[in-house]
Amino acid sequence: MDSYFDLLSVLILLSSFILVSHKRIKSYIKTFRIQSALIALTAGIMGFHSLASEGSLDILLVCAIIILLKVIYIPRLLHKTYGNVEYKVEKDFFLNIPLLIIICCALVVFTYFSVSGISSLSADHINLQVVNSFSVILIGFFFMISRKKALGQMIGFLVIENGIFVTAMFSTHGMPFIVDIGIFIDMITAILIMGIMVVQINEKFESININKLRNLKG
Amino acid sequence: MIAIINNLIQLLVILLLAPMVDGLIKKSKAFSQKRQGAPILQMYYDLFKLIKKDSVVSETASWIFKATPYIVFSTTAAAALLVPVTTLLPAVPFPGDIILLFYLLALGRFFMCISALDTGSTFGGMGSSREAMISSLIEPSILVSIFTIGLIAGSTSIHQMMVTMAAVGNPLFQPVFILTFLAMLIIILAETSRIPVDDPATHLELTMVHEAMLLEYSGKHLALMEYSAAVKQLILITLVANLFLPADQLIPFAGSGGFLLSVALYFLRVVLLSAMIAVAEISTVKFRFFSIPNLAALAFILSFLGFLQYFILGR
Amino acid sequence: MNWFAPDYLLYGSMITYLAAAIAAIIFYKHPHLCTQSAQAGCILASVLGAASAVRLLLSGQEKIILKPFESTIPYVSVSMTMDALSAFFLLILSVLTLCVSIYSIGYTAHYHGKRNVSLFHFLYSTFILSMLLVFTADNAVFFFMAWEIMAVLSYFLVVFESEQEENRQAGLLYIVMTHLGTAFLMIAFMLMFYYTETFDLSASSQHIPETGRNLMFLFFLIGFSTKAGVIPLHIWLPYAHPAAPGNISALMSGIMIKTAVYGLLRFVFLYLGVETPWWGAVILVIGMSSAVFGVLYAFIEQNIKKLLAYSSIENMGIIFIGLGIAFLAFARENHWVGALALTASLLHCFNHSLFKGGLFLGVGSIHYATHTKNMEKLGGLIKRMPVTAVFFLGSALSISALVPFNGFIGEWLTYQSIFASISSGNAALNIAYIVSVAVLALSGALAAACFIKLFGISFLGLPRSDHAAYAKEVPLAMNLGSGILAFLCLLFGLLPLIPLNLLSRVIASITGNGVVGQLQGGFLAAWYPLKISGNNNAVSPLLIFVSILLLAALALAMLRILGGSRRERKYGTWDCGFGSLTPRMQYSGTAFSKPMKIVFKIFFQSSRDLKLQGDHPYHPESMEYTITTESVFEKYIYIPLLVWVTAWSKRVKLMIQTGSVHTYLLYIFVAVLVLMLYNRIG
Repeated sequence: MDSYFDLLSVLILLSSFILVSHKRIKSYIKTFRIQSALIALTAGIMGFHSLASEGSLDILLVCAIIILLKVIYIPRLLHKTYGNVEYKVEKDFFLNIPLLIIICCALVVFTYFSVSGISSLSADHINLQVVNSFSVILIGFFFMISRKKALGQMIGFLVIENGIFVTAMFSTHGMPFIVDIGIFIDMITAILIMGIMVVQINEKFESININKLRNLKG
Repeated sequence: MIAIINNLIQLLVILLLAPMVDGLIKKSKAFSQKRQGAPILQMYYDLFKLIKKDSVVSETASWIFKATPYIVFSTTAAAALLVPVTTLLPAVPFPGDIILLFYLLALGRFFMCISALDTGSTFGGMGSSREAMISSLIEPSILVSIFTIGLIAGSTSIHQMMVTMAAVGNPLFQPVFILTFLAMLIIILAETSRIPVDDPATHLELTMVHEAMLLEYSGKHLALMEYSAAVKQLILITLVANLFLPADQLIPFAGSGGFLLSVALYFLRVVLLSAMIAVAEISTVKFRFFSIPNLAALAFILSFLGFLQYFILGR
Repeated sequence: MNWFAPDYLLYGSMITYLAAAIAAIIFYKHPHLCTQSAQAGCILASVLGAASAVRLLLSGQEKIILKPFESTIPYVSVSMTMDALSAFFLLILSVLTLCVSIYSIGYTAHYHGKRNVSLFHFLYSTFILSMLLVFTADNAVFFFMAWEIMAVLSYFLVVFESEQEENRQAGLLYIVMTHLGTAFLMIAFMLMFYYTETFDLSASSQHIPETGRNLMFLFFLIGFSTKAGVIPLHIWLPYAHPAAPGNISALMSGIMIKTAVYGLLRFVFLYLGVETPWWGAVILVIGMSSAVFGVLYAFIEQNIKKLLAYSSIENMGIIFIGLGIAFLAFARENHWVGALALTASLLHCFNHSLFKGGLFLGVGSIHYATHTKNMEKLGGLIKRMPVTAVFFLGSALSISALVPFNGFIGEWLTYQSIFASISSGNAALNIAYIVSVAVLALSGALAAACFIKLFGISFLGLPRSDHAAYAKEVPLAMNLGSGILAFLCLLFGLLPLIPLNLLSRVIASITGNGVVGQLQGGFLAAWYPLKISGNNNAVSPLLIFVSILLLAALALAMLRILGGSRRERKYGTWDCGFGSLTPRMQYSGTAFSKPMKIVFKIFFQSSRDLKLQGDHPYHPESMEYTITTESVFEKYIYIPLLVWVTAWSKRVKLMIQTGSVHTYLLYIFVAVLVLMLYNRIG
């Protein structure tokens, strides 16, 4: 069991690295979808386990929601937004991609140094998964920082959310159902708002480069 | 003495099989494109044809140009001596570890690069410069990956590493091994000039790397160079097959029967990996040259994370 | 009396160096005689020195003490001690000097009648003597004097061809930087005296408190690193080495910068003792950055001597990586790993002096034959200077750490020591170790690329200028000198246990923990000439070499049998059917390193500029393409520092330097009073 979670946590981490190494917005969406599918798989395994041992359906429900929301609905929404904007490829970065990847790698190491200090988490089996999933949050953050286009920002936000969700899942093996639902609702609202905003920005400025937002300040 | 003969048999397996693996990859690619494709044995025919042809040597070239095919072939074949096809036979007495293996391949590459500059052709310089860049960028991930496996096995001896991995049983379900495996796949693609890095099928000066270096070669020299490339490819595939897809633990009996079964299983895994390489090749496009650092960085972090998962996070 | 005892041999060696220097002065009117007598003296002296060192190492004697005369100065003794560590460095010095002196007989011939050859040889022999004294001095003040003499003499040699402005500037930079290092060393020696009240190196350092140790380590590190030319204290090296004559650069790069390694071992490792892990960590980080940056800057360099100078920075980095790992291991009480890492590091010192010496001599030959150091003007030299080319290729293969050569052995041992260092436990250290593996791999591969470029562009293809087109093979003596070095590279690569056996005695004497027992194997046809016990890590370069030869013969035979004897036609290089190729169509050195320049552009800050002249952008009359790179360290560290220091001095000058004599008298008066007060209180 645990070894599968280890593997899945590594794959989820890996998918966020692949995300960082891409520069086509379409690939962002694809990678996000894969990452979400991996998370759904994790939740699914956990759900079956808890169904078998405790008879609770909570986690399986959450898994179903993830599949509906993150694997199907949001990527589709993003695709729609993608169709409305002109920019399909990120061109100018603050730093080049290999350097971004190496920095993200350093983030993983940093996470380890930070998390290994938390004594209640230092039990051996939980450490690896938590470090990997916590790193996903940081990488998502860093992804938002490194990308200039608004769609990249959205994906970054979603990856952060994925990270938070997986971290919670790995460290507690199933959160209270209501918390999960709360997070999802938050997220869906945020995504809807952002989706509308992106199109708005595009119409107003003929670009979704968020650097242009600087023009707004007085 | 027996050990030496065993060793030579394994060398022979690699040397004889190498052109076929190239054919297998081409066939799988053709299959996926709904083409018939060339026969699997095409490369053997090509090599024989080339050997029987006269060769043309550039007027500018010096002895380096003529010596290089032999050096490249012999270093690659010597590297093949170090890689056991099966771990069933006792440890090969041939002294050399995995670091030596990659430095032997580097020796061949060094000569290939300078021979490309020897003719004074622009293409040669281009290929040489590009090859130098790709190989330098991919080198850290190679060393980090083999160090990770070596540390788990407690030795850099290739045989020892393979035995340890066979004992692991099913490596691909552990974080460290899946990560190093993926890193090794990228390394194979880069080292054998396959599609995301280089296109083996084209002679367009904008894209070619390996072919650009061989452009001036003809006849038997070309045959040797092409053959060495195939052997190198099989060496790397063998390494990955025996490290990450070990099968020798499944064989219940020893002796010559076990050996034959092991070679048969080896052959199956080589076919499987060839198919994987073909799939990797058809599912991507050749990268822009300056996107290769992204790939190299990805390979590096894969191997580095693998190390991290095992030695720092303890799994 | 045994005239072949190490101490007599060492005396003999020193006297012969002096005699060579005197001979150089005596025969100043006859350049030929002067060259021959002085260099013959140096050759003899180096043979004596090598014999002395080898005899000491083989005899198992702990050390010999030479005390030519009693010193009357308090705390200072003019005495020399040769223990195993000194003997090893003396051996490196002597082997290199032997080859460089043979080479110099031919090389200095082009100074005859043009320059003061007598002065050159005088400086040359005394420079070597000063290095010998650095390696044997056993008193800090005496060491310091020898160190300074070495610095000043090498300065004179750097500016020997002083009519060129850039050489004078390089010399100035060199002397300033080296004195900066000396200043730090002086503070460290002062601290040493402050705590122990003696300058004797064999005295114990027990009474030095923790802070004192750490301070002394830092000062020693900065002082010696400046001489070693590791990043970020490297800026003098890429200017000074190219400015010096060819044989002097070989000596400077081959052995002079290694005095820093000797110093670190002598003063930090042996005198202070390694107890704190962060010392090793600092050295490791310095080593890693030097290895990567050194080779990156070497790769984009077009000046062949500068390229080698940057590559020296890289190799010092590799040596420092080994040292850092050794220091870390000893601080963590892991003696065996420490001894292994130290072996790797010292072996790399030895190897580097062989192959870098050979490369600098080879580049000296190129300069001798073509009068240019610019790679873009060379090409096709392999046909004009075939012997030089072969030896140069040998050294280039060796520095690229390729298999049958000694460079590989050093690199392999370094990898093995890192391999042995990684153990479960300290996570931060493990990450540092694996990063250093990556760094070693990257710098190794880049070094190979760098020497593909150096050899390929300068020796192969078509000549890019008349300089190269009309080059002639250099005199026999020059080829002999670089040939011996290349041969030694191959010999010690095939039979690594020859240097390792000597080295193991050194390691045993300084750490009490030899490695030769762990490195099993015999000399010649043994299966495992190099094997680390405990695990199965082994290589046998000799056997690999033999099998490479056999396989090449097999290939030759198979081609003959299968293909029959086929004709070889000579024809022009493929020119796409457009007509004959010109040398200008070849890939240039700049083009070769262009991809790397783009990939690592943050380190190079490269910029390019294309100027088109003419009316139509597609059919310009002339094009001008300039490409520039900047050294990040100079731009962001040294220039701001310089600006700041200049501004500060200007400001302070007006405060202190008032121009009135009375103020100056007041300064002296106050200083005297303060000293008197200190005498009473302190």
